Amino acid sequence: MTRDASKKMLKIYFELNGEPMYVEIKPGEMLLDLLRRLGMKSVKEGCRTGECGACTVLLDGKPVRSCLTFAAKIKGHRVTTLEGLGSPANPHPLQEAFLETGAVQCGFCTPGMILVAYDLLSRNPDPTPEEVREAITGNLCRCTGYVKIVEAVLLAAKRRREGVWR
Amino acid sequence: MKVVGKNVRKVDGIALVTGQPVFTLDVTPPGAVVGKILRSPHAHAEIVRIDTSKAEELPGVLCILHHGNVPRTPYTTAGQGWPEPSPYDSFLFDRKVRFVGDRVAAVAATSEEIADEALRLIEVEYRQLPAVLVPEEAIGPGAPVIHDEEESRGIHDPQHNVAAAIDIRVGDIERGFTESDVVVETTCEFPYVQHVPLESHCVVAYLDEEDRLVIRSATQVPFHVRRIVARALGVPLSRIRVIKPRIGGGFGTKQEIILEDVAAALALRTRRPVVMKYSRAEEFVAARTRHPMKIRIKLGAKRDGTIHAIEMDVLSNTGAYGTHSLTVLSNVGSKTLPLYNKAPHLWFHGKAVYTNLPVAGAYRGYGATQGYFALEVAVDELAEKLGMDPLKLRLANHIRAGETSPIFEKIGEGRAGKAQVVKSCALEECIREGAKRIGWKEKHGKKTSEGRWVHGVGMALSMQGSGITDIDMAAATIVMNEDGSFRLLVGATDLGTGSDTILAQIAAETLGVAVEAISVYSSDTDFTPFDTGAYASSTTYVSGGAVLRAAQEARRRILEVAAAILGEPPESLDLEEGHAVSRGTGKKVPLSEVGHRAMYVTDQRHIIATASFVAPESPPPFAAFFAEVAVDVETGVVRVVKFVAAADCGMPINPALAEGQLEGAIVQGIGHTLYEELLFSPRGRVRNPNLFDYRIPTAADVPDIEVVLIPSDEPTGPYGAKSIGEIGINGPAPAIANAIYDAIGVRLYRIPFTPERVLKALHGKSMG
Amino acid sequence: MGIKRFHYARDVEEALSLLAAYEGRGALLAGGVDLARGLAPEVEGLIDVTTAGLAGISADGGGLRVGATTTLEAIRRSQEAQGYLGGFLAKVMGHVATLPLRNMATLGGAVVSAHPWADIPTALVALGAEAVWQNEELTEKASVEELYRRPFRAIFRRALLTEVRFPAWDGAFAFEKVARNAGDIALINCACGLGLDGEGKIAWARVAIGATPHRAKRLTAVEDFLTDEAPSEELWAEAAHKMKTEVEVGDDMRASAEWRRSAAAAIVRRALDRAAKGVTGDA
Repeated sequence: MTRDASKKMLKIYFELNGEPMYVEIKPGEMLLDLLRRLGMKSVKEGCRTGECGACTVLLDGKPVRSCLTFAAKIKGHRVTTLEGLGSPANPHPLQEAFLETGAVQCGFCTPGMILVAYDLLSRNPDPTPEEVREAITGNLCRCTGYVKIVEAVLLAAKRRREGVWR
Repeated sequence: MKVVGKNVRKVDGIALVTGQPVFTLDVTPPGAVVGKILRSPHAHAEIVRIDTSKAEELPGVLCILHHGNVPRTPYTTAGQGWPEPSPYDSFLFDRKVRFVGDRVAAVAATSEEIADEALRLIEVEYRQLPAVLVPEEAIGPGAPVIHDEEESRGIHDPQHNVAAAIDIRVGDIERGFTESDVVVETTCEFPYVQHVPLESHCVVAYLDEEDRLVIRSATQVPFHVRRIVARALGVPLSRIRVIKPRIGGGFGTKQEIILEDVAAALALRTRRPVVMKYSRAEEFVAARTRHPMKIRIKLGAKRDGTIHAIEMDVLSNTGAYGTHSLTVLSNVGSKTLPLYNKAPHLWFHGKAVYTNLPVAGAYRGYGATQGYFALEVAVDELAEKLGMDPLKLRLANHIRAGETSPIFEKIGEGRAGKAQVVKSCALEECIREGAKRIGWKEKHGKKTSEGRWVHGVGMALSMQGSGITDIDMAAATIVMNEDGSFRLLVGATDLGTGSDTILAQIAAETLGVAVEAISVYSSDTDFTPFDTGAYASSTTYVSGGAVLRAAQEARRRILEVAAAILGEPPESLDLEEGHAVSRGTGKKVPLSEVGHRAMYVTDQRHIIATASFVAPESPPPFAAFFAEVAVDVETGVVRVVKFVAAADCGMPINPALAEGQLEGAIVQGIGHTLYEELLFSPRGRVRNPNLFDYRIPTAADVPDIEVVLIPSDEPTGPYGAKSIGEIGINGPAPAIANAIYDAIGVRLYRIPFTPERVLKALHGKSMG
Repeated sequence: MGIKRFHYARDVEEALSLLAAYEGRGALLAGGVDLARGLAPEVEGLIDVTTAGLAGISADGGGLRVGATTTLEAIRRSQEAQGYLGGFLAKVMGHVATLPLRNMATLGGAVVSAHPWADIPTALVALGAEAVWQNEELTEKASVEELYRRPFRAIFRRALLTEVRFPAWDGAFAFEKVARNAGDIALINCACGLGLDGEGKIAWARVAIGATPHRAKRLTAVEDFLTDEAPSEELWAEAAHKMKTEVEVGDDMRASAEWRRSAAAAIVRRALDRAAKGVTGDA
């Protein structure tokens, strides 16, 4: 990160995927860029104007656009990215569901999509297909036509109701 | 079959679903610098003077490239096999700009901020030239010549801005119409639409430890990138390596050399790794788009409904450069006319014309999409004039297995075509199945209304191709590990389509192992064999053909070693469940023992097999599409209530992935049918280069979609497979147009069918 | 970006004094959606006002008080908004953008940015909502409708919106919007409200149309026309017809004036019908 002497850097404390973080940021830095430079590559840049949803992360559990969130605003808050949900060795049931139904094609929309689905299911454990579609309206996908994504979320909801969750 | 035909999980799925750093921009070499492009504010101008001195003085600016300090070699940016059937009319940096957004210069700097500042400090003096934004005007008298440079080659008629032209006749078209009892004529229009991949173009270019140029790019065509960058920069091909990581969607816009040439040039000049990416605005303006077209179509038929004569007259807008201009134009006819092969009289003609607008290139469907919009709307009009059910008219006329069309021979991809007989075609069943699922009989012609919504159903057919005959070549290598597992090396490019997975399935089926025993490494020009790339729906059929043959050869070599172990002739052995098994005695040996013995124990050899495949034909997939719409007669809003697609892709290697291709293509097609369109200012600037104003379908916009795969057995395809990647996008525009007619009795000929266009048509003020 | 400093305002006074100190090169930051999308190059300092204690929603008599930095989604989910006018305000929030953006955007931000294509200003104008704001000298309030008649952009260069107050209404409202697809801004929108007297005649009517492409305006001539009349399909049709000559529509990249005029008539009829049904409970 190149330094510009006229910028007053900030040090912020926040929680990233359950880990305490204490980092220095530029005053005008966006959360998308901060997260990517901290190694959270699942957070994607798709448009930088908050329309596509590829940058969506959870802030205190709520989906927000990291491309429009000034990093300074997360001071004292909790941020969750897809890396916090599961790993290749230990995928989250939602991630399993996406794999099982074929809901992942190119995978670029997938991180934001899964986080929004996670938020939906934490508030509404038995959504109708329409409720799923409404919840993910803000996450654009150009590959799948959303059909198998909705199937995946409904499958994950079913598993969650059966106790397969974390 | 054990593996083929099953919904095997994608081999890259776990990485994608856990957000692993597998995309181009997820790994940046240390010391990387940022590359950015200065773009033209004018639609047509000469660059009189470029002064980069102030920009160069800015600390952190490493180099600035423009026409004055790079080689001047004409090339095409089209990712096609050599000799690319597109004009060589592009330069790394030219002395002229030809559309608002065209390249003027490029900067490499140590940060984005500094690069942006440097762009602002570059002083450019332009001499503006008259610009032409309308294809009819571009070929008219007195139009400014867009490509007046000496060096360009392969332009059909540069003085009249014609990049490409085609004129194909079969039979006697005049006689054909005279002999027809009924004739309809109509013109359909397709505007500028863009692919909108979620990941915009991006690249990392650097020099490796041996001073070779490495390009990591989100590309559909790594081998074409290597060859074309070598040409553009005057670098030996052997000194370039192109790697394709995971890609966030392409749909054809990444079948193109967009950033690789500039990034490579900056990397060579600065000797630093260079990272470049397109902003979303650049992705709209300076990547590629579909070819906007006006297609006039004339159909003549006999009283009994047999189509007797077809004329298609195409005016294609290729934008400022002619990449894919000839081949997309050719495909308008080559992928549509054979569908109705009973007509003995055909005339297919047209031009691809330069304008001072964004560059059109390859986009899923590749001309067939525009062609089917016109053809299938015209067929519906014909049905009405004949007093026939449009479904019955199509059933009576479409091509069937065992048949051919003179068009196969007449139109190739920039060269002569090749005669072929359709060996597999389940289209009739697709039509019947689709009609049943949409409720054709119950709903067509009924104009059911609920309040302000009037319902209607419409249909359309399509065929496409599977690879490019005699031109697309793919190769594959199977490497056996000593533990009985395998590496599959393919040049084939997975852009999220799942090609790594289905190719592994083909190999696994042939070798009698589970897919998990095969690890796939793809699209690295240093380590994987050649493949033309992911386009023309070629991966399953052509790349799959190579994988099949490589696996068969590997199988032969495995059985040779197994035979020695078991003491039985190889012909009596099969490969099953990771073992070589004797059909006669039941004796078996695990592949791990075969591999281990061959690697270390006796008569050592590494069991590896490589095969290439060029397809001698291109068996078409087929599909029947059915749409139910509801039209709000007060506001003109069109809602797609249900969409059915029944498709014949031969044997679906992985049904879930095949369905996914259809579902995605259908929704993409609904987007361009109802709301997608690039809008321009009078001076040629794109007015809506963002997702706020260029709307693509969201999950809440998607109708009830039903896709059904109707299998057929394609004898020439790997395990009977054909292709599925493009065909889905050809259905929505004509099916929805025909459904709107069914609902409100008005025909629309120009997409997108915005509420405005629909309401105007309803009020009878204009058509479309 | 030329941002040199980021401040977390502890209260309104601090926010205002920081803003003044920046002399035009500072910006108040609420949800940040509009600001991040269109940051003016001269802005050097960001003043986060979401830390100034301005979020919260409470019922007030039959009305509602909403703190300026309350997010649109928080309003939508709140019991208070769901209880106000049968959940009308909550439903309007549901029409705006998409969930992740609603988790960021604030009501204050919507009032201050006042995009002509936006949905919330139309609803606020119809509801007679009142904006409360503070500058360094005093606290002011005015109806949003009145505010938009003033040079409000100049006002908010030196002031901070603190609260929006919604009055009680004895009746029902309905909102209609035509857009290209889900999550889109309006090609045209309207918010209509009705109250009935003891005889079932219209005691009061509120009709506001927005995204014409101009910012929302009330059509008082149409409101007067409706008052004292008996609700009926014919009445809505006549009102819509009258509205066609009253409403000012224009062309923009998204739609033409001609289409807007027709569509406005259609959606006003629908909104009036739904509002009437909302009063009688037939919705």
